Amino acid sequence: MDDVVLWIVVGTALAFDFTNGFHDTANAVATSISTRAMPPRLAVGLAASLNFVGAFLSLAVAATIASGIVDANYITPSIVFAGLIGAIAWNLATWYFGLPSSSSHALIGGVVGSAFVAQGPKAVYGAGIVEKVIVPALVAPVLALIVCALAISLTYRIVGRRHPGPVTRGFRLGQLVSGSLFSLSHGTNDAQKTMGIIVLALVSNGNLSEGADVPTWVVLSAATAIALGTYVGGWRIIKTMGSRIIKMDPAQGFTAQTVGACVILSASHAGFPLSTTHVMTGGIMGAGAAKRLSAVRWGVAGNIAGAWVLTLPASAAVGGLTYAVVALFGAHQAGPMVVSILLLLLLTAAFVKRIATGRTLTAEG
Amino acid sequence: MLAAIDFHALGRVVLASLVAGVGIPVLYSLAIFGVGKADEARRGGLNTAAAAYSALAIAALLVFGASVVLGVSVMLNKD
Repeated sequence: MDDVVLWIVVGTALAFDFTNGFHDTANAVATSISTRAMPPRLAVGLAASLNFVGAFLSLAVAATIASGIVDANYITPSIVFAGLIGAIAWNLATWYFGLPSSSSHALIGGVVGSAFVAQGPKAVYGAGIVEKVIVPALVAPVLALIVCALAISLTYRIVGRRHPGPVTRGFRLGQLVSGSLFSLSHGTNDAQKTMGIIVLALVSNGNLSEGADVPTWVVLSAATAIALGTYVGGWRIIKTMGSRIIKMDPAQGFTAQTVGACVILSASHAGFPLSTTHVMTGGIMGAGAAKRLSAVRWGVAGNIAGAWVLTLPASAAVGGLTYAVVALFGAHQAGPMVVSILLLLLLTAAFVKRIATGRTLTAEG
Repeated sequence: MLAAIDFHALGRVVLASLVAGVGIPVLYSLAIFGVGKADEARRGGLNTAAAAYSALAIAALLVFGASVVLGVSVMLNKD
């Protein structure tokens, strides 16, 4: 019977993966769409395909995302389930307000909150949170901002006096390459989170031994979920990243994407997971600030930074609250089933209401 | 708190990001610059200059292409 709960956890993890792709589409396509390097549907289609491929290319981050933050010995499938609900709730809330925020940190926050409520502080490694959440959250945007500012300054020095037409066409063409590389690197980095959480659930349920290889079906399902989410696209966040932080020209778009891909790939290679959202947002701000400081809408940037600060505590609160509700009905079996049925009914009602009012969840623009 | 930070990995990330993140856009910019200048020189009848700028553009594009291949190979060979 525990397997029923396990499959609920796997389904919820894949739902999280879908929201991760949906939420993070903006990181890969916002600059390409904003500079008209690609039509929107082509951009999201290409990003989805490359995210799918990227998920198969590396499993390094899957091994590190859950370990070192929560003690696997205390983790049960119900804790993982409640943590995922916390992460999904935060992803949907930030999407609603058009705020780019880290799905990785939402996931970590959700699991930390549910583990804390279920097992107390002994299940959570404070040092792990510092190493894998706080330090990367400080490093990623600052590093991307500085590197992008340097790169765009040199770029403008080289091509600044050339005829705008050929330069614009050249950078739009370059964005096909940089956008593709960014999407591929996103797939190698972000799909691994869901793989990591499914593996954690499998290990806690006794279906897999700790340290075992990631099963192929886990890789395939995680790749499919993130690709589908990416294709659906979170257009509110695309609008924020593509045009509300700075008004972007193709040189800035190309540079932000290239720097983003370089930082993500470097971090991924070193097994030092950085948020693609933090990297890309920092890169876009750097591309704008190097032109002139007032080119960046700092009010929008401030709202985004506020969302980043709230990500861990808010998703932890929802994760903890969800676990408390799960525990009311029975943490081993009935709780996850009751809560998942309630959430499915809630989501269906919300979806039907939107359809009835003639709006879709992902309307472009 | 400091003990929890992997400074070795962080240093590698910062260095690689700086080198690649600045280097690759600069290379691509040099390619665009070279193509534009070669076109101008060709139209002005300056064939030697046109050849030199074309060579610059081709070299920059080749290194740019190689860096993309290197990026993909990094994805395939993580620690």
